[in-house]
Amino acid sequence: MGFIPGKRGDNMFLGLDVGGTFTDGVVVADEKIVSMVKTPTTKENLLQCILTVVDKMVEDTGSKAFERIALSTTIVTNAIVEDNIDQVGLCIMPGPGMNLNDILPVAPYILSGYIDHRGREMAQPNKEEVLSACRHFSSCDVFVVSGKFAVRNPCFESAVTDWIQEQVSPMHISTGGKVSGSLNFLRRTNSAYYNGAVWRHFNAFATAVEEALKMRGIYSPVFVLKADGGTLPLSVARNYPVEAIFTGPAASTIGIMGMNDDAAVSGISLDIGGTTTDIALWQKGRPLLAKEGAAVDGHVTGVQGFRLKSVGIGGDSLVFWENHVLKVGPMRHGPAMAAGGPKPTVTDAMVAAGFIDFGDRVLAVKAMKLLALQGQSPEEMASQVVDKAVNGICQAIADLLDEQAAEPLYHVEEIIYETKFVLENIIGVGGGAAGLVPLVAKKLGISYTLPENGRVANAFGAAVARSTLDITLRADTAEGYYTVAELGIKNRLPRGKFSLQNAYELAEKHLAELAQRNGIFIGETQIIQSEEFNMVRGFTTVGKIMTCRLQVKPGVLQYGEEELY
Amino acid sequence: MNVQKLGLVFFPAFDWAISPTHPEREERLLYTRDQIVEEGLLDMPAIREYKPKIAKIQDIERVHVGVPDIASLITNAHLVSAGGAIAAADAVMKKEVQRAFALVRPPGHHAMRIVHGTRGFCTINMEAIMIEYLRKSYGIGKVAIVDTDVHHGDGTQDIFYHDPNTLFISFHQDGRTLYPGTGFTNEMGSPNARGTTLNIPLPPGTTDRGLHEVLDHLIMPILGDFKPDIIINSAGQDNHYSDPLANMAITAQGYARLADTLKADIAVLEGGYSIEDALPYVNVGIVLAMAGMDYSKVIEPNIADCPSQSSSVTHYIKDVIKERQDMWGRKEKLQREAIMKHGEFWQTERSIYYDDEGINEQQKERVRICPHCSGYVIIETKARSSLHYKTAYIGMIPQKACPACLKAAYDVVHTAKKQGSYQHYMVQNKQEDRLEKL
Repeated sequence: MGFIPGKRGDNMFLGLDVGGTFTDGVVVADEKIVSMVKTPTTKENLLQCILTVVDKMVEDTGSKAFERIALSTTIVTNAIVEDNIDQVGLCIMPGPGMNLNDILPVAPYILSGYIDHRGREMAQPNKEEVLSACRHFSSCDVFVVSGKFAVRNPCFESAVTDWIQEQVSPMHISTGGKVSGSLNFLRRTNSAYYNGAVWRHFNAFATAVEEALKMRGIYSPVFVLKADGGTLPLSVARNYPVEAIFTGPAASTIGIMGMNDDAAVSGISLDIGGTTTDIALWQKGRPLLAKEGAAVDGHVTGVQGFRLKSVGIGGDSLVFWENHVLKVGPMRHGPAMAAGGPKPTVTDAMVAAGFIDFGDRVLAVKAMKLLALQGQSPEEMASQVVDKAVNGICQAIADLLDEQAAEPLYHVEEIIYETKFVLENIIGVGGGAAGLVPLVAKKLGISYTLPENGRVANAFGAAVARSTLDITLRADTAEGYYTVAELGIKNRLPRGKFSLQNAYELAEKHLAELAQRNGIFIGETQIIQSEEFNMVRGFTTVGKIMTCRLQVKPGVLQYGEEELY
Repeated sequence: MNVQKLGLVFFPAFDWAISPTHPEREERLLYTRDQIVEEGLLDMPAIREYKPKIAKIQDIERVHVGVPDIASLITNAHLVSAGGAIAAADAVMKKEVQRAFALVRPPGHHAMRIVHGTRGFCTINMEAIMIEYLRKSYGIGKVAIVDTDVHHGDGTQDIFYHDPNTLFISFHQDGRTLYPGTGFTNEMGSPNARGTTLNIPLPPGTTDRGLHEVLDHLIMPILGDFKPDIIINSAGQDNHYSDPLANMAITAQGYARLADTLKADIAVLEGGYSIEDALPYVNVGIVLAMAGMDYSKVIEPNIADCPSQSSSVTHYIKDVIKERQDMWGRKEKLQREAIMKHGEFWQTERSIYYDDEGINEQQKERVRICPHCSGYVIIETKARSSLHYKTAYIGMIPQKACPACLKAAYDVVHTAKKQGSYQHYMVQNKQEDRLEKL
């Protein structure tokens, strides 16, 4: 199996990023962009702009035989923001601890049953209660089950899921431990809740995409981008739609990785779009992951993403005076005046100051004249606006670096020998990068790169992003068990000595199985978290607790690496 | 700016142990970390997590005199733990948070002024270092420390024994039944500070009920009377009914309510060695209480194992409360009597044992009962172990020393040096914020 060049004809990968304003699409063949399309996003019906892009690309390339079509969409985010979500029967087993009742997105039904921090069953769940919960949620087609420490022992979540299935056979049941394998009951519960709440909407979208492509005679497998920069086959994503939130910045981050030829620089990337600038931190050529998951509608989740910061400054950001203070963004009132827009923007200032050549310079100067104070030339005004925008971006970079430096560390050595994050280089992509990135770099006194085609880094990223998966294996040799939360398994440990190395090997095996089941090529894997503790009781070592989180490394598809389709 | 309720400096020191099977080992806060993270506490808007700072040697020498020097007696972990307490203090003083909890290890409340090694798992005193940092950096004057560890905070008591501006209250399992065997009611501070050391020895088997009697009827009224600028909690968690090293019967609810009532500005973790059955729940309870959140559902799964309080314990506690209330009411009189009785100097002689390395220290201490300041202190120390014999002659000058005490301390140490019977001669000059080797 694996990648066969030209298997479907032309070795072409289609990537598509649905943004807030525009939808970008590219076709990549042999690491080169062979087609590029931009169209306004049709917010009320995302399928429409997606198909517009696909149709243009088929026309452009004269082919329907794409190796893969990968989508980065706002479908899930929009559904949540527009409250286009389903009522969900949220059943939780919180055991003792913090009172979650007013903290979750909706009122939960509280069930008995408690797993403790070691994964031990301290109190059993009660079937009668679960049946009551089913009656309580009789109008719900989707259920969510989440238990505290279920990642340490999935048995109660499984049992409750089975009882619900048996009783009401809902369309879908999301479980906390399978949606996120990390500790944090609150985040897992929120993730599972949103997963369930958008499940129907996302599946309707997935079906519509598949049918529309089929009608066009396009039989390429469809993948969906995740917030961590990986892709999932649409068939798998149907069960994990919450993974498809906030994929835009992840798409462009992966795109940068691909455009940067794996240069092992450390620094930041700036994706300067129309209304925002997304900043990511890079170490030795790889973007840093966020320590915690993203927040959805004010609720924290376990959805893993890159360490990013967004600042409301972009090329189309409105420039205006407020109480004698010059303001840049965060709102956008259409394109730059230089491009026929209604109000002065950052782009107009860049054009008027002579930093970029874009649209009608006369209109840009006019925009600055509108803003200029008495006695101030349009050029002076322009440079004041540019300074303001550059300072705003630099401040956001400084804030992100501060946040990174303030990350708590739990080992003595990490704190004593902590290395400061070094800014070496800026990689700039997005429509506004060409003008602003050199100025930001100059202010910070570092070098910069502007990859060719940086304007479509987002769609390029979607086109070339690898498929990823991750699992968390935890072994407790004193209890004699290990669990893999994402797979919902709790198994006996093999006999004999069990080391961290054995744990890695076991995790590799389970990850490979999961990849196989999901039709994902398993290339390079990386351990994203691992720890090992001796357990001492009395004065005797009675066992070890080991945790390792293993991931199919996100990144750019390499030659010879393709899905098992 | 929105002030958050609680600053949490969490530093479990996952790579530090006294020895592999010691109660102070890597695993100690593992389950606490699991519980805190699993609950989602670090995501609560009322709680902000802080990273520890790294304490400077100068921060430590503001409190301790190490023999021959402090740097050779500590590990990096101690710098980070003390730095954790300092980070908590900064967060509160800069008003970023209302209160803070330094959930850090290694602990420190058994570490005294003079340090020869590690005793009771402690080498340097985190709370004391933090308090002197607060005084130096923010000009804090009156401080109250409430030590709620099951063991008597003998190190903290020693450090502030002559300081009338630091009220040290410690309740603990009676010293006749538990390490370190001190903390009796007659230890009340040297004459100039008589009454500002207040020990409350409690009988084994004390439950939440007894503890809250003590808190409501003794500790809280005394704090109200003393009017400290800041309240520090030495938050040991080994009064828990499941603790393997002690015999008390406090629950997570008892600890959470304690934190809720005390409303300490800064709490610093001390002991607590029931790492699976107590610490996860006790810490979640304390964190929720300090953050002003609902802690009523934090109940140990094995709560049925908690014994109830016997009537003899209840009576005993009532008597202790009464006696201690009386003492506090008469403390000015007691102080006058003590000053009259002792003349110019108050002195004491004792032996101090460092269990970790088997060091026996003989210490002679003399404090001047000065009418103008808290008085300079002279300590003569001789420590013997199977490997070493170390001696030092040390003068200590308080931050607000009068000119006479300042001069006298140097004179006394210089005179001793001429006689030359000690290996090291040092002056801890808090006015100048430095430790001088003579």
